[in-house]
Amino acid sequence: MFRKIYSANEFVTFIIILLISIFIGLINPAFFSIASIFDVLRSSIVYIILALGLLPVMIVGGIDISFVAIGALSAYSTHMLLINNGYEGGVFLYYIIACSIGIIASFLNSILTTKFNLNIFNVSLALYIMWFGFVRFFVGSKRSATFPEGASNFYSKFLLTVKDPFVGNSNLHISILFVVIIGLVLMLILRYTTFGRGIYAIGGDRDVALRTGFKVNRILTGSFIIMGGLAAFAGITHSFLIRLFDPTMFLGDELDVIAAVVLGGASINGGRGSVIGTFMGVIVIQLIHRSIILIGIPVTWQDFIVGFILIIFISIPYLKTIIKEKLVDKKVAHEETK
Amino acid sequence: MKKQNNVENGINDWNSIVNLIKNVIKTQTFLLLTALLILFLVFSIFEESFFTRRSITSMLFQLPEFGILSLAMMIPMMIGGDDLSIVSTANLSAILSGFFSVKVLPNILPEEYSIIYIGSIFLLSMIVGCITGLFNGILVGYIGANSILVTLSTLTFFTGISIGLTKGSVLIGLPESIGLIGSESILGIPISFLIFVVVSMVVFIILNHTPLGFKIRMMGTNQSASKFSGINNKKIIIKIFIISGILSSISGILIMSRTLSASYQYGASTYILLTILIGVLAGVVSGKGSVLNVFVSVLILQVISTGFHMMLVGIRGSSFFKDFIWGILLIVIFIINHYREKMKKLS
Amino acid sequence: MEKEILRVENISKSFGGVKALENINLNIKEGEILCLVGENGSGKSTLIKIISGVYTADQGDIYINNHLYKKIKPIESIKQGIQVIYQDFSLFPNLSVAENLAINKQISSGKNIVNWKEFRQIAQRGLEDINVSLNLDAEVGSLSTADRQLIAISKAVMAEAKLIIMDEPTTALTQQEISSLFRIIFELKKQNISILFVSHKLNEITEIADRTIIFRNGRKVMDKNAKELSIESMEFHMTGRKLMSRNLQSSKDLSNVSPLLTVEKLTLGGKFNDISFDLKPGEVLGITGLLGSGRNELALSLYGVLPADSGSVRINCSDVNIRTIQEAKKLHIGYVPKDRIRDGIFLAQSIENNISANSIDRLINKFHLIDKQKKETLADKWINDFSIKTPSRKLAAFSLSGGNQQRVVLAKSLANEPILLILNSPTVGVDVGSKDEILNLIRDLANDGMGIILISDDIPEIIRTCDRIILMQNGKVKNIFLKEEINQEKLNNAMVGKY
Repeated sequence: MFRKIYSANEFVTFIIILLISIFIGLINPAFFSIASIFDVLRSSIVYIILALGLLPVMIVGGIDISFVAIGALSAYSTHMLLINNGYEGGVFLYYIIACSIGIIASFLNSILTTKFNLNIFNVSLALYIMWFGFVRFFVGSKRSATFPEGASNFYSKFLLTVKDPFVGNSNLHISILFVVIIGLVLMLILRYTTFGRGIYAIGGDRDVALRTGFKVNRILTGSFIIMGGLAAFAGITHSFLIRLFDPTMFLGDELDVIAAVVLGGASINGGRGSVIGTFMGVIVIQLIHRSIILIGIPVTWQDFIVGFILIIFISIPYLKTIIKEKLVDKKVAHEETK
Repeated sequence: MKKQNNVENGINDWNSIVNLIKNVIKTQTFLLLTALLILFLVFSIFEESFFTRRSITSMLFQLPEFGILSLAMMIPMMIGGDDLSIVSTANLSAILSGFFSVKVLPNILPEEYSIIYIGSIFLLSMIVGCITGLFNGILVGYIGANSILVTLSTLTFFTGISIGLTKGSVLIGLPESIGLIGSESILGIPISFLIFVVVSMVVFIILNHTPLGFKIRMMGTNQSASKFSGINNKKIIIKIFIISGILSSISGILIMSRTLSASYQYGASTYILLTILIGVLAGVVSGKGSVLNVFVSVLILQVISTGFHMMLVGIRGSSFFKDFIWGILLIVIFIINHYREKMKKLS
Repeated sequence: MEKEILRVENISKSFGGVKALENINLNIKEGEILCLVGENGSGKSTLIKIISGVYTADQGDIYINNHLYKKIKPIESIKQGIQVIYQDFSLFPNLSVAENLAINKQISSGKNIVNWKEFRQIAQRGLEDINVSLNLDAEVGSLSTADRQLIAISKAVMAEAKLIIMDEPTTALTQQEISSLFRIIFELKKQNISILFVSHKLNEITEIADRTIIFRNGRKVMDKNAKELSIESMEFHMTGRKLMSRNLQSSKDLSNVSPLLTVEKLTLGGKFNDISFDLKPGEVLGITGLLGSGRNELALSLYGVLPADSGSVRINCSDVNIRTIQEAKKLHIGYVPKDRIRDGIFLAQSIENNISANSIDRLINKFHLIDKQKKETLADKWINDFSIKTPSRKLAAFSLSGGNQQRVVLAKSLANEPILLILNSPTVGVDVGSKDEILNLIRDLANDGMGIILISDDIPEIIRTCDRIILMQNGKVKNIFLKEEINQEKLNNAMVGKY
């Protein structure tokens, strides 16, 4: 039982978090404070929601980048729709409409993938460009900071407020609750429903899943619905938190999210991944960004460092296999020996 | 030998001609050429400024950049992989050689020696492409990591270097001689287009007439059999990414030449999609790839691009509309390919 | 009266003009172990796919438990108690043993919620029913083939199977595991479960079957009690001709010839140990043994795929150290892989390209470009020499039959002019006519001076073709049989350990 914990990818990620945190703390002791934790959590919130949306699709065995475009499309369109019709109510309607748009948009992913048997990544690449083009041409390309009356102070609804000697007040937004609830629900679905197990099954072996009687197309559609719905949710949350609706939100962020999910234990080939792991993966990425700033690396060199670290992290599982092959036994290498 | 009478001879000849025509029509190349012709005609009819010397020359100036990038994307596609870092490589090589031409060269030679300037820019650029390609190749070939993941990461890494070096701003003040390639023509044909044609021919020779090209096709068809046939798969992967890197860097030079500047941002989102679109249109898959098809597909996409641009002129945000259409076009082509594969399997 | 589980009447099926099955009539009784035998392409797998609902017959009736079906869906077939155990065992490698065992029940019950405690109970019971114990939490992908097969059988039994169809179940099992499997099959018989056992290993069939059915070219040619059929008789009906008894061994006396290959104390940890033998040019050396004997690994070691840990290899009296396939090729060692489709042939490429694949670096002109003339001539030569039936060398390899494909793979290795050729199971999946010709080819190559190692588990084939036979067991050389000592019975006995 203990051995299982040691070897799980999630454990490795957890260790990485500890190491990075200690590293940062050594450079800047102010890091070990509630304020810092809130800080990290705040910057993680939106990414965690995006990553959780991507998780089922990655477990099923696909890589997708269109979710960021769906998020931008849903959030921005909802805002334009409501604002232009003089809406003055609260956030609730924003979430409902946006998630509906996100789910409907995800049907394109599912239809193309199931009915025409197209590759998930290829489809997502096309939809990525299509949606970003669509939203900026047909909906609008201007950023908007006008907020309806009832939703204007959503950004300041805090769950906890802590007094910090350095920064004054440090706040934890209530959207962290959303994250926890979404995470919990997704975890329950993945672990305790036939649908959830089906996602792992398809990721393990799609043909066998078909033969076993799983409704593969339905499960794929369901995974994309989760992806679209959560992307939209993330879009709305993000826009309210930064108090700006930008049709190019999330543009370019797709790699960070994919990296987070992979770091959290998901395999590129599918069949693996967990909610906890994904949480941790996002936090690792955020910590990396944070530590880069703290070390004092100029903004212009940040992408370089992030890219470099990503390359290392992505290579790790493969390096593990190579080392295992060379040291332990040669059984892994060749199926010819049957 | 039995003598056949003339009528029989005639019928046999006619039959073989018909068969030949049937076989040619079935090819992807024919389809693409037909599509090109039709699109050209359609746009010429609906847009009066389309079929003019100026507009055609302008198209010939633009397409070499993503044309060479398409060749760069094509080669990894032939073994079932992707190189998503091609645009970052293009920009990085442009930036590095740009710096060289501004900071180093003027101290060695006066600007009048344009040939040497241009030559050394090309050389330096290709060396950068070689190094980035080597980097990608080792990660994908020796470490064995998935090419999409690797090149997505190196994309960030190379762009990161570009941003770091330029501090996020556009590199300008490049010597005039560099702009020659991007602006001059020989006998009415832009030099950059001629470079594209020459590069295409070189890639054609590599893919169809060298052992390397042969091995690439075999590897793309069956990696395991390729290994057992003594083909060093890992080395081939490295060579593929190096070629891809060099091609990307040449494209970077062309961009730099046309704009007389270098930036980490040029062609960022649009070019990648365009090159994948061209690859799919040209029917590039594991083990199969035709330079001719890629060439024609590049022309097709340039025609569509210019055609749309002209039709939408004056409408705000037309580049967004273009993106929208690109996305849909890619999906349509995927679907068409899907049905073509289905038809092939049944026969 | 014995109850019938399955009856098919007048089943026929064609694929694009090619008749896969023609007027098949057969039945399976309750608690009967039926063996279905036939060469590749005889129609066995097509019939199974029709019974399990994957294919629909063009004509004919299927009676399952006395219900008539003209067409049957996979779900329906499963509901009627027909379970097929495929070669991949229908298991999820990334899920646990418990989950794999319980998942079918979960799906068929239509439940949406997963109760893990129940999963474990179901799994535990399923394993106990066939007297097997496994770690319920182990990831199935990490288990051995034998264990995974046990899980597959357990699943079938749990699904209240009345008929379990097993497709070549002993392919990847050791002798011990085969015995365990047979014990379980007899257990199932006692529980009145019928077994349809597809195999081509004739000696196993006599051991386990109640009744034997032989297919040939899509037709049923024999349907008799297993005891009433001898191995020769089965072979005759499978192939349609008497086994060629013509000996293909060398008549030359090679005792004074210096060895081509000398292997001394070759060891690869966990796979083979202390292997020593030599090979003379012009000799065909057979290496055989069951799974786990190390014979495959030994071959791969000589070809540079699995470099040995210690020991020495000498080619023509010079020491060599073969650590990569490229090095093996340089030494003019050739290898024909066991899994032709996966490791040997490029199906989508032309026959010409396939034949040139090993030799492309030599087929160049002075500009280092491919010399098309040389390449085409090479391909034509081998197409001719090996009588590869094709209208054009430019056609893709998938247009060829199994036998012709194997010839292409052989030509590919030979085009590189090897002095030592290692063949691993070269006649598997090849039609009878080609099998004969390939074995003749092997003898001709040896007569021309090539040293050949033939690895196979087809005893008659080895006895016919080889000058000497090495029997390996558990990674060691157990026996070396000389020409004069070879006969089928001795070899069979040695293999199963009765000596």
